[in-house]
Amino acid sequence: MDELEKVRELYGEPRPDPFLKARVFGRLQAEPRRRRWLPWTVALTGLATAMTVVVIVAVLVPTTTANRAPEISGRSVLLAAATQAEADPATTGAYWRVKKSHRRTHPEPLGKGQNRYRVVESWLTEQWATEDGRIWAGSRTLGARPGSAADSEAWRRDGSPSEWAGVAPSWSSSGGETLSSSPGEGLLKPVTGRTAFSVAGRDMTFEQIRELPADPAALKDRISSMVRGAPRGSDSGVLADALSGLLWSKPSSPEVRAAAYRALAELPNVRYLGTARDERGRKGAAFSFTVRTSPTAPALVQRTLIIDVASSRVLSSTDAGGPGEEEVEVVLEAGWTDDKPAPPSLP
Amino acid sequence: MSWTDRPADDAEVLRLSLVESERFSAIFDLHFHEIHRYVAQRLGADSAEDVVAETFLTAFRKRALYDPSRAGVRAWLYGIATNLIGKQRRVEVRTLRALGRHGPDPDSPGHEEQVAARVSAESLRPSLATALAGLHRRDRDVLLLVALAGLSHEEISGALGIPYGTVGSRLNRARRKLRAALGGTNPMLEPEETDRG
Repeated sequence: MDELEKVRELYGEPRPDPFLKARVFGRLQAEPRRRRWLPWTVALTGLATAMTVVVIVAVLVPTTTANRAPEISGRSVLLAAATQAEADPATTGAYWRVKKSHRRTHPEPLGKGQNRYRVVESWLTEQWATEDGRIWAGSRTLGARPGSAADSEAWRRDGSPSEWAGVAPSWSSSGGETLSSSPGEGLLKPVTGRTAFSVAGRDMTFEQIRELPADPAALKDRISSMVRGAPRGSDSGVLADALSGLLWSKPSSPEVRAAAYRALAELPNVRYLGTARDERGRKGAAFSFTVRTSPTAPALVQRTLIIDVASSRVLSSTDAGGPGEEEVEVVLEAGWTDDKPAPPSLP
Repeated sequence: MSWTDRPADDAEVLRLSLVESERFSAIFDLHFHEIHRYVAQRLGADSAEDVVAETFLTAFRKRALYDPSRAGVRAWLYGIATNLIGKQRRVEVRTLRALGRHGPDPDSPGHEEQVAARVSAESLRPSLATALAGLHRRDRDVLLLVALAGLSHEEISGALGIPYGTVGSRLNRARRKLRAALGGTNPMLEPEETDRG
């Protein structure tokens, strides 16, 4: 190792922070004596929508800065979403379907010698489940590409590889595949040997989801009792995680979704971050809490959910601080459908 | 959009921003994370946000003076950030002292596979940090623009407004001092190169 590598190692990488850019941007806007120089700051909010599916830079951009927004409590936002959720008609269909796009930094640094770089993987998943317990899992890779501009430079110096032999996509459990920069075909596989859902790390069937209490306090107690006994007493984060899962990834009834929103509104560890846009440019309210994503995970991650209060839908979920630096899930579809299971189409 | 090309030509975007200032937002959007990473490494996360904000404010105010024949927009932003870091010498020295003692934030992402290498380098960490803090500022700037930002000699020459040859001599001097601190040869026994900058 030469001294330049030792210098790089000494400095390390700054901690990822999904709201960093928005915060600095807010600081630029908050300088009144400089306001006249900064007409460009108003244009930034529109930028997220103009970007393509694969976003190289994080684009969580608050549309208001803290010191200009009227004081709104996160609790009141979640209670408003609860009221909206309750008013939703109960729907049904042949299949419960959740389709998401994902983005994550591959955990392994790639390249050789001086030309080390990280790549960001993007992919689609689509889960289908029937009430009688049949499950299909769809997936489709959108390709991997260098993360930062510095990563792009190193990737170019490394000969601009479009495939990384011997490196598997981090999200695919089947192994054997090769990490590639090219998008792939959509795949669909039946899944056997497990239930369609899990809450607080426990397997749950349709029936059990349906039987969850619709009273916020009772729902919180029920979920808490499932969380207790979870390893490392990772309590409050897991509770917030399990309750928020009922909002979008599970076929919860309108009443249970409303109860989950109300229970979340009372959790002290759920923080309101203000208005934000997801990576598709959809506007919503951002909430965050810290959670240990698996019993063996070494570090807590900060999870941020962006919720569209007007429809009570969850738009996206971002984990920051985990081994993959930042992991983003954007909800493309979540609900009942009579469509037949098929490989994921491009959004 | 092909991601292998630099999205649009940012020098062109910067030129257009003279007429339509809102176009500058694309410059912020494209370069924010990279500039922040560099500043946060040198000054720590707490001070970095102010300095990065100041970097983009300065760039916006001085965009009419930007000369694309001298440096790319990215290198130009690194130059502005480097000059602003230079006004924070005490913060930088404090950051280096902390890095020497504790190393980077242990919560920073992953890299389990690097732990072994890190442990072996652990004992040299304080000497390396001390040597970096002891470098002349202009030598440290060049060294870190190479090591952390990955800029070429030519880009650094444009970013800092110094002759090409000076980049090399400053880099060599800095590297020699670091090698000595890491247990290599004694720099006092080697002939000192003259700084032509």
